[in-house]
Amino acid sequence: MNRNYIFLTLLMLALALGTLFIKKKPTKPETPPETLLWEIIQPTRYVSTDQVARMIIQKDPSLEIIDVRSPKEFSQFTLPGAINVPPDSLITETGSEYFGIPGIKVVFISNDGILADRVWVLAKRLGYNDLYVMKGGLNRWMETIIQPKEPGEGEPYTAFEEYEFRQGARLYFTGAKVKTTKATKAKVIVRRKKKATVASGGC
Amino acid sequence: MGPLIPNGIITGDWNFVIALLIGIAFGFLLEASGFSSSRNITGVFYGYNFVVLRVFFTAVIVAMVGLLYFDYFGWLDLSKIFILPTFLKPMLLGGVIMGLGFIIGGFCPGTSYTAIAIGKLDGLFFAIGLFIGIYIFSLAFPWFKDFYYSDNMGHVTLTDVTGIPASWFAFGFTIIALAAFWITMIIEKRVRKNFTEYKF
Repeated sequence: MNRNYIFLTLLMLALALGTLFIKKKPTKPETPPETLLWEIIQPTRYVSTDQVARMIIQKDPSLEIIDVRSPKEFSQFTLPGAINVPPDSLITETGSEYFGIPGIKVVFISNDGILADRVWVLAKRLGYNDLYVMKGGLNRWMETIIQPKEPGEGEPYTAFEEYEFRQGARLYFTGAKVKTTKATKAKVIVRRKKKATVASGGC
Repeated sequence: MGPLIPNGIITGDWNFVIALLIGIAFGFLLEASGFSSSRNITGVFYGYNFVVLRVFFTAVIVAMVGLLYFDYFGWLDLSKIFILPTFLKPMLLGGVIMGLGFIIGGFCPGTSYTAIAIGKLDGLFFAIGLFIGIYIFSLAFPWFKDFYYSDNMGHVTLTDVTGIPASWFAFGFTIIALAAFWITMIIEKRVRKNFTEYKF
């Protein structure tokens, strides 16, 4: 027998045996386009800044904030507890390990919400669920939570309630002192019962 | 990385260039393996020459195992490559016809051209017959059109049908192929002993 044949037979056998030990990571099936389009038009994929603020304050363990801006922007400002995953590292191993955890709601944030929206579509196409976008992004966060506007007269009661919450949230996130209104500054006048004076002198 | 054209690494215009290069390599290897001799090819059926079986089995197992490694290393995405649709019964019949043609004509379509290239007359006549056959087939196509398109299973692989991972098929097929190499060598030796009129 030819020695080359024996060698090649053993080599081929070893290589074929090796394929059995190749561990292929199970790839998630890509979301079909019809489903993706349907999901994109659902308003439920957005969460408001108030909802996010409430979840952060309540230390909701199911919340996971993913900041999709660049690492530089991320280092300058972000929300507490946010994780930085730029779009280009989304499909890498370190990027994708944050998605698809059962019971965890992923909220994407960016400056204006458009980049977050794009990343949402990409991640959705990769087959992950429980993904949300913070509507308006960090710009809206600044407008509503950090510098909330006082509702004008005639606005519904809920607007005032919201404002009250936002003021509290502002205090929580910035550590600023609550601006006290004039009404609360007014001196408290303590009225005391006048002591009955003893009549002095006669009539 | 791969497949190159679907991933946009090179444009579809390269198709013909690549096809030409692969064609040259294929023809060269067919001729180099002795496939331009119909004696070698029909030898499989008589048991004195198994070169066809060995060459094609080698090609299959090397390509199969190689592709699995390519997929693992990320050089080729196997989920993106084109798979011919399976038409079960028409393909079975086609295989029978192909085998009959093989033993009767002594060539398969590709090898007949390599035979022409080295100036063999039988290869030339085989190729002429090939075109007559294609012509007749095209004219008669409406008669068996329904059968031709029947039993369509779509773009399926064995893994899709059975659920067994591709690597198990690759391993099993490699074992079968390697066993076949050694068994056919023994058969060849025994059959060739009784041959007197043909020298190897």
